[in-house]
Amino acid sequence: MSLAKLSFFLTEALTNLRRSGITTFITVSTVAISLVIMGAFLFTTMNLEAFLLQMQSEAMVTVYLKNDTLLAEAHTFNMRLADMPEVADSLVVSSEDAVRELFSDPDDKRLLQIGVTPEDNPLPTTIRIKLKNPDLLKSIVDKVKLEPLVDNLSYGEDLFKQFEGMSGLLWYVSLSVVVLLGCSSMFIVFNTVRMTLFMRREEIIIMKLVGATDWFVRGPFIIEGLVQGLIGSVIATIILLSSYHLVVGKFAELIPFFGIGITFEQLFKLTAKLFMMGLILGVVGSLLSLRDIRKFSSSVN
Amino acid sequence: MIEIQNVTKIFPNGVRALNDISVTINKGDFVFLVGPSGAGKSTFLKMLFREEIPTMGKILVDGKDIVTMPESRVPYLRRNLGIVLQDFQLLKNRTVAENVAFGLRVVGVSDAVINTRIQEALEQVGLSHKRRMFPTELSGGEQQRVCIARAIVNNPLVLITDEPTGNLDPMISDEIIKLFLEINMRGTTIIMATHNEKIVNKLRRRVLALMDGTIIKDEECGTYAYE
Ligand SMILES: Nc1ncnc2c1ncn2[C@@H]1O[C@H](COP(=O)(O)OP(=O)(O)OP(=O)(O)O)[C@@H](O)[C@H]1O
Ligand SMILES: [Mg+2]
Repeated sequence: MSLAKLSFFLTEALTNLRRSGITTFITVSTVAISLVIMGAFLFTTMNLEAFLLQMQSEAMVTVYLKNDTLLAEAHTFNMRLADMPEVADSLVVSSEDAVRELFSDPDDKRLLQIGVTPEDNPLPTTIRIKLKNPDLLKSIVDKVKLEPLVDNLSYGEDLFKQFEGMSGLLWYVSLSVVVLLGCSSMFIVFNTVRMTLFMRREEIIIMKLVGATDWFVRGPFIIEGLVQGLIGSVIATIILLSSYHLVVGKFAELIPFFGIGITFEQLFKLTAKLFMMGLILGVVGSLLSLRDIRKFSSSVN
Repeated sequence: MIEIQNVTKIFPNGVRALNDISVTINKGDFVFLVGPSGAGKSTFLKMLFREEIPTMGKILVDGKDIVTMPESRVPYLRRNLGIVLQDFQLLKNRTVAENVAFGLRVVGVSDAVINTRIQEALEQVGLSHKRRMFPTELSGGEQQRVCIARAIVNNPLVLITDEPTGNLDPMISDEIIKLFLEINMRGTTIIMATHNEKIVNKLRRRVLALMDGTIIKDEECGTYAYE
Protein backbone atom coordinates (compact mmCIF):
# COMPACT_ATOMS: atom_id res chain seq x y z
CA MET A 1 0.00 0.00 0.00
CA SER A 2 1.34 3.39 -0.89
CA LEU A 3 1.87 6.13 1.68
CA ALA A 4 -0.52 8.37 -0.23
CA LYS A 5 -3.33 5.84 0.12
CA LEU A 6 -2.63 5.25 3.78
CA SER A 7 -2.67 8.94 4.59
CA PHE A 8 -5.87 9.34 2.60
CA PHE A 9 -7.47 6.49 4.58
CA LEU A 10 -6.37 8.04 7.84
CA THR A 11 -7.67 11.52 7.11
CA GLU A 12 -10.91 10.08 5.76
CA ALA A 13 -11.40 7.89 8.81
CA LEU A 14 -10.60 10.63 11.29
CA THR A 15 -12.79 13.21 9.56
CA ASN A 16 -15.60 10.73 9.50
CA LEU A 17 -15.21 9.79 13.16
CA ARG A 18 -15.30 13.44 14.08
CA ARG A 19 -18.34 14.10 11.94
CA SER A 20 -20.36 11.31 13.50
CA GLY A 21 -19.33 12.31 17.01
CA ILE A 22 -22.16 10.81 19.03
CA THR A 23 -22.12 7.48 17.27
CA THR A 24 -18.36 7.32 17.68
CA PHE A 25 -18.71 8.18 21.36
CA ILE A 26 -21.26 5.44 21.96
CA THR A 27 -19.22 2.86 20.08
CA VAL A 28 -15.99 3.75 21.81
CA SER A 29 -17.65 3.69 25.24
CA THR A 30 -19.21 0.31 24.57
CA VAL A 31 -15.90 -1.11 23.50
CA ALA A 32 -14.19 0.46 26.51
CA ILE A 33 -16.76 -0.85 29.02
CA SER A 34 -16.64 -4.32 27.51
CA LEU A 35 -12.87 -4.32 27.69
CA VAL A 36 -12.89 -3.14 31.31
CA ILE A 37 -15.18 -6.01 32.28
CA MET A 38 -13.15 -8.48 30.27
CA GLY A 39 -10.00 -7.12 31.84
CA ALA A 40 -11.43 -7.42 35.34
CA PHE A 41 -12.33 -11.05 34.75
CA LEU A 42 -8.99 -11.88 33.25
CA PHE A 43 -7.30 -10.10 36.11
CA THR A 44 -9.19 -12.07 38.75
CA THR A 45 -8.45 -15.31 37.00
CA MET A 46 -4.80 -14.41 36.76
CA ASN A 47 -4.75 -13.66 40.48
CA LEU A 48 -6.24 -16.97 41.38
CA GLU A 49 -3.82 -18.73 39.09
CA ALA A 50 -0.93 -16.94 40.70
CA PHE A 51 -2.22 -17.92 44.12
CA LEU A 52 -2.53 -21.56 43.11
CA LEU A 53 0.92 -21.55 41.67
CA GLN A 54 2.30 -20.16 44.86
CA MET A 55 0.42 -22.76 46.89
CA GLN A 56 1.75 -25.50 44.74
CA SER A 57 5.28 -24.26 44.78
CA GLU A 58 5.09 -24.40 48.57
CA ALA A 59 3.70 -27.90 48.39
CA MET A 60 4.86 -29.56 51.51
CA VAL A 61 4.42 -33.04 52.82
CA THR A 62 4.48 -33.54 56.53
CA VAL A 63 5.53 -37.05 57.52
CA TYR A 64 4.46 -38.05 61.04
CA LEU A 65 6.75 -40.64 62.52
CA LYS A 66 5.66 -43.33 64.97
CA ASN A 67 5.70 -42.31 68.61
CA ASP A 68 8.59 -44.51 69.68
CA THR A 69 10.91 -43.31 66.91
CA LEU A 70 14.27 -42.13 68.17
CA LEU A 71 15.62 -38.82 66.93
CA ALA A 72 18.69 -40.55 65.50
CA GLU A 73 16.48 -42.92 63.53
CA ALA A 74 14.56 -39.95 62.25
CA HIS A 75 17.76 -38.27 61.02
CA THR A 76 18.93 -41.42 59.25
CA PHE A 77 15.55 -41.72 57.57
CA ASN A 78 15.70 -38.07 56.66
CA MET A 79 19.02 -38.60 54.91
CA ARG A 80 17.46 -41.29 52.76
CA LEU A 81 14.56 -39.02 51.98
CA ALA A 82 16.83 -36.20 50.96
CA ASP A 83 18.40 -38.45 48.34
CA MET A 84 15.07 -39.15 46.67
CA PRO A 85 14.73 -37.41 43.28
CA GLU A 86 11.39 -35.78 44.15
CA VAL A 87 12.66 -34.04 47.25
CA ALA A 88 13.97 -30.50 47.11
CA ASP A 89 14.48 -30.10 50.81
CA SER A 90 13.62 -31.96 53.94
CA LEU A 91 13.84 -31.18 57.60
CA VAL A 92 13.45 -33.14 60.79
CA VAL A 93 11.28 -31.41 63.35
CA SER A 94 11.67 -33.09 66.71
CA SER A 95 8.72 -33.16 69.06
CA GLU A 96 10.55 -30.57 71.20
CA ASP A 97 10.94 -28.27 68.22
CA ALA A 98 7.30 -28.71 67.39
CA VAL A 99 6.25 -27.78 70.86
CA ARG A 100 8.51 -24.76 70.85
CA GLU A 101 6.98 -23.65 67.60
CA LEU A 102 3.53 -24.20 68.96
CA PHE A 103 4.16 -22.23 72.10
CA SER A 104 6.17 -19.53 70.38
CA ASP A 105 3.51 -17.01 71.29
CA PRO A 106 3.62 -16.71 75.08
CA ASP A 107 0.31 -14.82 75.16
CA ASP A 108 -1.54 -17.64 73.46
CA LYS A 109 -3.23 -19.55 76.25
CA ARG A 110 -5.54 -21.61 74.10
CA LEU A 111 -3.35 -24.70 74.10
CA LEU A 112 -3.10 -24.64 77.86
CA GLN A 113 -6.85 -24.36 78.09
CA ILE A 114 -7.34 -27.64 76.24
CA GLY A 115 -4.78 -29.32 78.45
CA VAL A 116 -1.71 -29.23 76.30
CA THR A 117 1.45 -28.12 78.09
CA PRO A 118 5.09 -28.06 77.02
CA GLU A 119 5.89 -30.53 79.75
CA ASP A 120 3.39 -33.13 78.69
CA ASN A 121 4.34 -33.26 75.02
CA PRO A 122 1.85 -35.08 72.81
CA LEU A 123 3.47 -34.15 69.50
CA PRO A 124 5.28 -36.73 67.35
CA THR A 125 8.55 -36.17 65.58
CA THR A 126 7.91 -35.12 61.98
CA ILE A 127 9.84 -34.68 58.76
CA ARG A 128 8.84 -31.83 56.49
CA ILE A 129 9.48 -32.43 52.83
CA LYS A 130 9.54 -29.75 50.20
CA LEU A 131 8.98 -31.08 46.70
CA LYS A 132 10.88 -30.11 43.62
CA ASN A 133 7.65 -30.05 41.67
CA PRO A 134 4.04 -30.30 42.88
CA ASP A 135 3.34 -33.01 40.28
CA LEU A 136 5.63 -35.36 42.21
CA LEU A 137 3.32 -35.35 45.20
CA LYS A 138 1.64 -38.62 44.41
CA SER A 139 4.80 -40.62 43.81
CA ILE A 140 6.50 -39.44 47.00
CA VAL A 141 3.39 -40.09 49.07
CA ASP A 142 3.16 -43.62 47.72
CA LYS A 143 6.82 -44.33 48.51
CA VAL A 144 6.96 -42.82 51.97
CA LYS A 145 3.67 -44.35 53.15
CA LEU A 146 5.24 -47.83 53.19
CA GLU A 147 8.23 -46.92 55.32
CA PRO A 148 8.20 -48.70 58.72
CA LEU A 149 8.88 -45.54 60.73
CA VAL A 150 6.00 -43.65 59.17
CA ASP A 151 2.77 -43.31 61.05
CA ASN A 152 0.91 -40.87 58.90
CA LEU A 153 1.22 -38.27 56.11
CA SER A 154 -0.52 -34.99 55.45
CA TYR A 155 -0.35 -32.86 52.34
CA GLY A 156 -3.40 -30.58 51.96
CA GLU A 157 -4.75 -32.64 49.12
CA ASP A 158 -8.34 -31.53 49.40
CA LEU A 159 -7.42 -27.88 49.28
CA PHE A 160 -5.50 -28.38 46.05
CA LYS A 161 -8.40 -30.08 44.37
CA GLN A 162 -10.82 -27.43 45.49
CA PHE A 163 -8.73 -24.60 44.20
CA GLU A 164 -7.96 -26.34 40.97
CA GLY A 165 -11.67 -26.83 40.34
CA MET A 166 -12.37 -23.23 41.18
CA SER A 167 -9.66 -21.99 38.85
CA GLY A 168 -11.01 -24.15 36.02
CA LEU A 169 -14.49 -22.80 36.56
CA LEU A 170 -13.24 -19.24 36.66
CA TRP A 171 -11.42 -19.74 33.39
CA TYR A 172 -14.64 -20.94 31.80
CA VAL A 173 -16.57 -18.00 33.16
CA SER A 174 -13.89 -15.56 32.04
CA LEU A 175 -13.78 -17.07 28.61
CA SER A 176 -17.56 -16.88 28.27
CA VAL A 177 -17.54 -13.27 29.40
CA VAL A 178 -14.77 -12.44 26.92
CA VAL A 179 -16.57 -14.15 24.05
CA LEU A 180 -19.95 -12.68 24.92
CA LEU A 181 -18.76 -9.13 25.43
CA GLY A 182 -16.40 -9.46 22.48
CA CYS A 183 -19.25 -10.44 20.19
CA SER A 184 -21.54 -7.70 21.43
CA SER A 185 -19.00 -4.93 21.05
CA MET A 186 -18.04 -6.30 17.67
CA PHE A 187 -21.69 -6.05 16.75
CA ILE A 188 -21.75 -2.41 17.86
CA VAL A 189 -18.73 -1.62 15.70
CA PHE A 190 -20.38 -3.55 12.87
CA ASN A 191 -23.46 -1.36 13.16
CA THR A 192 -21.56 1.90 13.35
CA VAL A 193 -19.58 1.09 10.24
CA ARG A 194 -22.78 -0.04 8.56
CA MET A 195 -24.39 3.27 9.36
CA THR A 196 -21.52 5.34 8.03
CA LEU A 197 -21.51 3.08 4.99
CA PHE A 198 -25.11 4.06 4.28
CA MET A 199 -24.40 7.69 5.04
CA ARG A 200 -21.52 7.67 2.58
CA ARG A 201 -23.23 5.71 -0.12
CA GLU A 202 -22.90 8.49 -2.66
CA GLU A 203 -19.22 8.77 -2.00
CA ILE A 204 -18.73 5.05 -2.49
CA ILE A 205 -20.59 5.17 -5.80
CA ILE A 206 -18.33 7.97 -7.00
CA MET A 207 -15.22 6.22 -5.77
CA LYS A 208 -16.16 3.09 -7.68
CA LEU A 209 -17.00 5.14 -10.74
CA VAL A 210 -13.52 6.63 -10.87
CA GLY A 211 -11.88 3.24 -10.44
CA ALA A 212 -11.50 2.54 -6.74
CA THR A 213 -10.91 -1.09 -5.84
CA ASP A 214 -13.10 -2.69 -3.19
CA TRP A 215 -10.20 -2.59 -0.76
CA PHE A 216 -9.65 1.07 -1.40
CA VAL A 217 -13.28 1.77 -0.58
CA ARG A 218 -12.98 -0.34 2.54
CA GLY A 219 -9.76 1.32 3.67
CA PRO A 220 -11.15 4.32 5.57
CA PHE A 221 -13.85 2.21 7.20
CA ILE A 222 -11.38 -0.37 8.42
CA ILE A 223 -9.22 2.37 9.89
CA GLU A 224 -12.35 3.81 11.43
CA GLY A 225 -13.09 0.51 13.18
CA LEU A 226 -9.46 0.16 14.16
CA VAL A 227 -9.34 3.64 15.68
CA GLN A 228 -12.55 3.01 17.59
CA GLY A 229 -11.16 -0.23 18.98
CA LEU A 230 -7.89 1.45 19.83
CA ILE A 231 -9.46 4.41 21.65
CA GLY A 232 -11.73 1.97 23.46
CA SER A 233 -8.78 -0.06 24.67
CA VAL A 234 -6.82 3.03 25.70
CA ILE A 235 -9.74 4.17 27.85
CA ALA A 236 -10.22 0.66 29.24
CA THR A 237 -6.54 0.41 30.12
CA ILE A 238 -6.59 3.78 31.87
CA ILE A 239 -9.66 2.78 33.89
CA LEU A 240 -8.24 -0.63 34.77
CA LEU A 241 -4.78 0.54 35.73
CA SER A 242 -5.97 3.55 37.71
CA SER A 243 -8.41 1.44 39.66
CA TYR A 244 -5.90 -1.36 40.11
CA HIS A 245 -4.41 -0.20 43.40
CA LEU A 246 -7.76 0.89 44.72
CA VAL A 247 -9.39 -2.45 43.99
CA VAL A 248 -6.42 -4.52 45.08
CA GLY A 249 -6.23 -2.61 48.36
CA LYS A 250 -9.92 -3.12 49.06
CA PHE A 251 -10.01 -6.75 48.07
CA ALA A 252 -6.78 -7.71 49.75
CA GLU A 253 -8.58 -7.21 53.07
CA LEU A 254 -11.42 -9.50 52.06
CA ILE A 255 -9.76 -12.11 49.90
CA PRO A 256 -6.35 -13.29 50.97
CA PHE A 257 -4.95 -14.06 47.57
CA PHE A 258 -6.05 -10.95 45.69
CA GLY A 259 -3.20 -9.00 44.20
CA ILE A 260 -0.48 -11.37 45.21
CA GLY A 261 1.91 -12.73 42.68
CA ILE A 262 0.85 -10.41 39.85
CA THR A 263 4.02 -8.96 38.45
CA PHE A 264 4.42 -5.82 36.42
CA GLU A 265 5.18 -8.02 33.46
CA GLN A 266 1.91 -9.85 33.81
CA LEU A 267 0.05 -6.57 34.13
CA PHE A 268 1.74 -5.40 30.96
CA LYS A 269 0.73 -8.59 29.21
CA LEU A 270 -2.84 -8.11 30.30
CA THR A 271 -2.81 -4.59 28.91
CA ALA A 272 -1.36 -5.85 25.66
CA LYS A 273 -4.11 -8.45 25.51
CA LEU A 274 -6.76 -5.79 25.96
CA PHE A 275 -5.22 -3.71 23.20
CA MET A 276 -5.15 -6.68 20.89
CA MET A 277 -8.75 -7.41 21.72
CA GLY A 278 -9.78 -3.82 21.10
CA LEU A 279 -8.03 -3.83 17.75
CA ILE A 280 -9.50 -7.15 16.74
CA LEU A 281 -12.99 -6.04 17.77
CA GLY A 282 -12.68 -2.89 15.71
CA VAL A 283 -11.16 -4.42 12.62
CA VAL A 284 -13.25 -7.59 12.52
CA GLY A 285 -16.41 -5.62 13.24
CA SER A 286 -15.81 -3.30 10.34
CA LEU A 287 -14.61 -6.07 8.02
CA LEU A 288 -17.83 -7.98 8.63
CA SER A 289 -19.70 -4.82 7.85
CA LEU A 290 -17.81 -4.36 4.59
CA ARG A 291 -18.24 -7.85 3.19
CA ASP A 292 -20.88 -6.90 0.64
CA ILE A 293 -19.51 -3.49 -0.29
CA ARG A 294 -20.26 -4.13 -3.96
CA LYS A 295 -23.96 -3.86 -3.30
CA PHE A 296 -23.44 -0.24 -2.36
CA SER A 297 -21.71 0.73 -5.53
CA SER A 298 -23.98 -0.55 -8.28
CA SER A 299 -26.58 2.13 -8.54
CA VAL A 300 -25.51 4.62 -11.18
CA ASN A 301 -28.59 6.18 -12.73
CA MET B 1 -10.57 1.12 -29.40
CA ILE B 2 -14.06 -0.12 -28.51
CA GLU B 3 -15.56 -3.11 -30.23
CA ILE B 4 -19.09 -4.20 -29.52
CA GLN B 5 -20.04 -7.53 -31.05
CA ASN B 6 -23.60 -8.86 -31.12
CA VAL B 7 -24.45 -7.51 -27.71
CA THR B 8 -27.87 -8.20 -26.27
CA LYS B 9 -29.04 -7.09 -22.86
CA ILE B 10 -32.12 -8.57 -21.30
CA PHE B 11 -32.92 -7.31 -17.80
CA PRO B 12 -34.13 -9.74 -15.15
CA ASN B 13 -37.64 -8.34 -15.56
CA GLY B 14 -37.61 -9.47 -19.19
CA VAL B 15 -37.03 -6.05 -20.80
CA ARG B 16 -34.82 -6.40 -23.86
CA ALA B 17 -32.93 -3.10 -23.63
CA LEU B 18 -30.36 -3.90 -26.33
CA ASN B 19 -30.83 -6.29 -29.20
CA ASP B 20 -27.89 -7.76 -31.11
CA ILE B 21 -25.82 -4.59 -31.34
CA SER B 22 -22.51 -4.46 -33.19
CA VAL B 23 -20.46 -1.23 -33.36
CA THR B 24 -16.83 -0.28 -33.61
CA ILE B 25 -15.64 3.02 -32.16
CA ASN B 26 -12.16 4.21 -33.10
CA LYS B 27 -9.61 6.16 -31.16
CA GLY B 28 -10.36 9.87 -31.29
CA ASP B 29 -13.97 9.44 -32.42
CA PHE B 30 -16.67 11.78 -31.19
CA VAL B 31 -19.87 9.76 -31.15
CA PHE B 32 -23.38 11.03 -30.39
CA LEU B 33 -25.79 8.40 -29.17
CA VAL B 34 -29.36 9.48 -29.92
CA GLY B 35 -32.79 7.93 -29.81
CA PRO B 36 -36.09 8.23 -27.99
CA SER B 37 -36.46 7.73 -24.28
CA GLY B 38 -36.16 4.07 -23.40
CA ALA B 39 -34.24 3.24 -26.56
CA GLY B 40 -31.35 1.80 -24.56
CA LYS B 41 -28.79 4.61 -24.68
CA SER B 42 -27.96 4.56 -20.99
CA THR B 43 -27.84 0.78 -20.97
CA PHE B 44 -25.42 0.92 -23.90
CA LEU B 45 -23.10 3.28 -22.03
CA LYS B 46 -23.30 1.33 -18.75
CA MET B 47 -22.14 -1.73 -20.64
CA LEU B 48 -18.95 0.12 -21.59
CA PHE B 49 -17.89 0.72 -18.00
CA ARG B 50 -19.16 -2.62 -16.72
CA GLU B 51 -22.00 -1.18 -14.71
CA GLU B 52 -24.17 -3.64 -16.62
CA ILE B 53 -23.06 -6.94 -18.12
CA PRO B 54 -24.43 -8.03 -21.52
CA THR B 55 -26.65 -11.08 -21.58
CA MET B 56 -24.98 -12.10 -24.83
CA GLY B 57 -22.14 -10.80 -26.98
CA LYS B 58 -18.67 -9.45 -26.54
CA ILE B 59 -17.24 -6.01 -25.74
CA LEU B 60 -13.57 -5.19 -26.23
CA VAL B 61 -12.11 -2.01 -24.76
CA ASP B 62 -8.53 -1.34 -25.78
CA GLY B 63 -8.29 -5.00 -26.80
CA LYS B 64 -9.55 -6.38 -23.49
CA ASP B 65 -12.74 -8.37 -23.21
CA ILE B 66 -14.62 -6.52 -20.50
CA VAL B 67 -17.54 -8.96 -20.39
CA THR B 68 -15.53 -11.87 -19.06
CA MET B 69 -13.22 -9.59 -17.08
CA PRO B 70 -13.21 -10.57 -13.39
CA GLU B 71 -14.84 -8.12 -11.02
CA SER B 72 -11.48 -7.38 -9.43
CA ARG B 73 -10.16 -5.92 -12.71
CA VAL B 74 -13.08 -3.55 -13.25
CA PRO B 75 -11.49 -0.68 -11.24
CA TYR B 76 -8.51 -0.75 -13.59
CA LEU B 77 -10.81 -0.59 -16.60
CA ARG B 78 -12.54 2.44 -15.10
CA ARG B 79 -9.28 4.25 -14.50
CA ASN B 80 -8.92 4.37 -18.27
CA LEU B 81 -12.39 5.78 -18.70
CA GLY B 82 -13.84 9.15 -17.78
CA ILE B 83 -17.50 9.05 -16.82
CA VAL B 84 -19.79 12.09 -16.68
CA LEU B 85 -23.46 11.63 -15.90
CA GLN B 86 -26.50 13.87 -16.07
CA ASP B 87 -26.88 14.57 -12.36
CA PHE B 88 -23.63 16.13 -11.27
CA GLN B 89 -22.30 13.52 -8.90
CA LEU B 90 -20.27 15.73 -6.63
CA LEU B 91 -19.64 15.44 -2.91
CA LYS B 92 -21.18 18.43 -1.22
CA ASN B 93 -18.89 18.46 1.80
CA ARG B 94 -15.73 18.58 -0.28
CA THR B 95 -14.18 21.42 -2.20
CA VAL B 96 -13.99 21.53 -5.97
CA ALA B 97 -10.32 20.53 -5.80
CA GLU B 98 -11.03 17.60 -3.49
CA ASN B 99 -13.83 16.39 -5.75
CA VAL B 100 -11.50 16.42 -8.73
CA ALA B 101 -8.78 14.78 -6.67
CA PHE B 102 -10.99 11.76 -6.13
CA GLY B 103 -10.09 10.51 -9.58
CA LEU B 104 -6.45 10.37 -8.49
CA ARG B 105 -6.79 9.33 -4.87
CA VAL B 106 -8.02 5.90 -5.83
CA VAL B 107 -4.85 5.30 -7.80
CA GLY B 108 -2.70 6.29 -4.84
CA VAL B 109 -0.94 9.24 -6.45
CA SER B 110 1.12 11.47 -4.15
CA ASP B 111 -0.26 14.82 -3.00
CA ALA B 112 2.26 16.82 -5.01
CA VAL B 113 1.29 15.10 -8.25
CA ILE B 114 -2.38 15.37 -7.36
CA ASN B 115 -2.06 19.13 -6.91
CA THR B 116 -0.52 19.80 -10.29
CA ARG B 117 -2.90 17.47 -12.08
CA ILE B 118 -5.93 19.06 -10.38
CA GLN B 119 -4.66 22.46 -11.41
CA GLU B 120 -4.29 21.34 -15.03
CA ALA B 121 -7.72 19.75 -15.16
CA LEU B 122 -9.42 22.73 -13.53
CA GLU B 123 -7.66 25.13 -15.90
CA GLN B 124 -8.90 23.06 -18.79
CA VAL B 125 -12.52 23.47 -17.66
CA GLY B 126 -11.92 27.10 -16.68
CA LEU B 127 -12.50 26.73 -12.96
CA SER B 128 -9.07 26.95 -11.39
CA HIS B 129 -10.08 30.14 -9.57
CA LYS B 130 -12.88 28.29 -7.78
CA ARG B 131 -10.91 25.32 -6.57
CA ARG B 132 -11.54 26.07 -2.91
CA MET B 133 -15.30 26.49 -3.25
CA PHE B 134 -17.89 23.89 -2.43
CA PRO B 135 -20.22 22.46 -5.10
CA THR B 136 -23.25 24.17 -3.57
CA GLU B 137 -21.59 27.52 -4.24
CA LEU B 138 -21.42 26.78 -7.97
CA SER B 139 -23.95 27.03 -10.79
CA GLY B 140 -25.18 23.89 -12.56
CA GLY B 141 -22.89 24.48 -15.49
CA GLU B 142 -19.92 24.93 -13.20
CA GLN B 143 -20.78 21.79 -11.28
CA GLN B 144 -20.85 19.84 -14.51
CA ARG B 145 -17.45 21.28 -15.37
CA VAL B 146 -16.11 19.99 -12.10
CA CYS B 147 -17.43 16.53 -13.02
CA ILE B 148 -15.69 16.82 -16.37
CA ALA B 149 -12.46 17.87 -14.67
CA ARG B 150 -12.70 14.83 -12.43
CA ALA B 151 -13.30 12.60 -15.44
CA ILE B 152 -10.28 13.89 -17.38
CA VAL B 153 -7.83 14.25 -14.51
CA ASN B 154 -6.65 10.69 -15.15
CA ASN B 155 -6.11 11.28 -18.89
CA PRO B 156 -8.67 8.65 -19.89
CA LEU B 157 -8.71 6.91 -23.25
CA VAL B 158 -12.46 7.30 -23.51
CA LEU B 159 -14.89 9.77 -22.03
CA ILE B 160 -18.36 8.33 -21.60
CA THR B 161 -21.10 10.81 -20.90
CA ASP B 162 -24.84 10.38 -20.49
CA GLU B 163 -26.89 13.53 -21.18
CA PRO B 164 -24.29 15.90 -19.73
CA THR B 165 -26.38 18.89 -20.70
CA GLY B 166 -29.71 17.40 -19.66
CA ASN B 167 -30.07 19.70 -16.66
CA LEU B 168 -28.54 22.83 -18.21
CA ASP B 169 -29.92 25.77 -20.16
CA PRO B 170 -28.99 26.07 -23.88
CA MET B 171 -26.23 28.63 -23.49
CA ILE B 172 -24.47 26.74 -20.72
CA SER B 173 -24.98 23.54 -22.69
CA ASP B 174 -23.13 25.01 -25.64
CA GLU B 175 -20.20 25.86 -23.40
CA ILE B 176 -20.11 22.36 -21.97
CA ILE B 177 -20.19 20.85 -25.46
CA LYS B 178 -17.36 23.15 -26.50
CA LEU B 179 -15.39 21.76 -23.60
CA PHE B 180 -15.98 18.22 -24.81
CA LEU B 181 -14.83 19.22 -28.28
CA GLU B 182 -11.59 20.58 -26.85
CA ILE B 183 -11.04 17.37 -24.91
CA ASN B 184 -11.74 15.37 -28.06
CA MET B 185 -9.26 17.49 -29.97
CA ARG B 186 -6.52 16.33 -27.59
CA GLY B 187 -7.21 12.78 -28.69
CA THR B 188 -9.71 11.49 -26.14
CA THR B 189 -12.49 9.39 -27.59
CA ILE B 190 -15.92 10.71 -26.60
CA ILE B 191 -19.22 8.86 -26.50
CA MET B 192 -22.16 11.04 -25.58
CA ALA B 193 -25.79 10.09 -25.18
CA THR B 194 -27.94 13.17 -25.74
CA HIS B 195 -31.38 14.52 -26.56
CA ASN B 196 -29.90 17.84 -27.65
CA GLU B 197 -30.92 17.99 -31.31
CA LYS B 198 -29.53 21.44 -31.99
CA ILE B 199 -26.03 20.56 -30.88
CA VAL B 200 -25.93 17.25 -32.74
CA ASN B 201 -27.04 18.95 -35.94
CA LYS B 202 -24.60 21.80 -35.54
CA LEU B 203 -21.51 19.69 -34.86
CA ARG B 204 -22.08 17.03 -37.51
CA ARG B 205 -20.11 14.26 -35.84
CA ARG B 206 -20.66 10.54 -35.94
CA VAL B 207 -24.23 9.74 -34.88
CA LEU B 208 -25.49 6.39 -33.62
CA ALA B 209 -29.27 6.19 -33.37
CA LEU B 210 -30.89 3.59 -31.14
CA MET B 211 -34.52 2.58 -31.24
CA ASP B 212 -36.00 -0.18 -29.11
CA GLY B 213 -32.55 -1.54 -28.43
CA THR B 214 -31.48 -1.71 -32.05
CA ILE B 215 -29.10 0.51 -33.99
CA ILE B 216 -31.13 2.06 -36.75
CA LYS B 217 -28.55 4.53 -37.99
CA ASP B 218 -24.77 4.95 -37.91
CA GLU B 219 -23.56 8.00 -39.84
CA GLU B 220 -20.31 9.91 -40.03
CA CYS B 221 -21.16 13.64 -39.95
CA GLY B 222 -24.69 12.63 -39.03
CA THR B 223 -27.81 14.47 -37.90
CA TYR B 224 -30.13 13.99 -35.00
CA ALA B 225 -33.15 12.67 -36.90
CA TYR B 226 -33.91 9.00 -36.24
CA GLU B 227 -37.37 8.59 -37.70
N1 LIG C 1 -32.11 -1.89 -14.21
C1 LIG C 1 -33.10 -2.10 -15.08
N2 LIG C 1 -33.96 -3.09 -14.88
C2 LIG C 1 -34.96 -3.31 -15.75
N3 LIG C 1 -35.16 -2.59 -16.84
C3 LIG C 1 -34.33 -1.57 -17.09
C4 LIG C 1 -33.26 -1.25 -16.23
N4 LIG C 1 -32.58 -0.19 -16.73
C5 LIG C 1 -33.22 0.15 -17.86
N5 LIG C 1 -34.27 -0.66 -18.09
C6 LIG C 1 -35.15 -0.63 -19.25
O1 LIG C 1 -34.36 -0.74 -20.40
C7 LIG C 1 -34.84 0.10 -21.43
C8 LIG C 1 -33.76 1.03 -21.89
O2 LIG C 1 -33.46 1.94 -20.85
P1 LIG C 1 -32.33 3.06 -20.95
O3 LIG C 1 -32.23 3.70 -19.65
O4 LIG C 1 -31.14 2.45 -21.56
O5 LIG C 1 -32.99 4.06 -22.00
P2 LIG C 1 -32.45 5.47 -22.49
O6 LIG C 1 -32.30 5.36 -23.97
O7 LIG C 1 -31.27 5.85 -21.73
O8 LIG C 1 -33.65 6.41 -22.12
P3 LIG C 1 -33.59 7.98 -21.72
O9 LIG C 1 -33.39 8.74 -22.96
O10 LIG C 1 -34.91 8.23 -21.12
O11 LIG C 1 -32.50 8.12 -20.73
C9 LIG C 1 -36.04 0.82 -20.85
O12 LIG C 1 -37.21 0.13 -21.27
C10 LIG C 1 -35.88 0.68 -19.36
O13 LIG C 1 -37.13 0.63 -18.73
MG1 LIG D 1 -30.79 7.35 -20.31
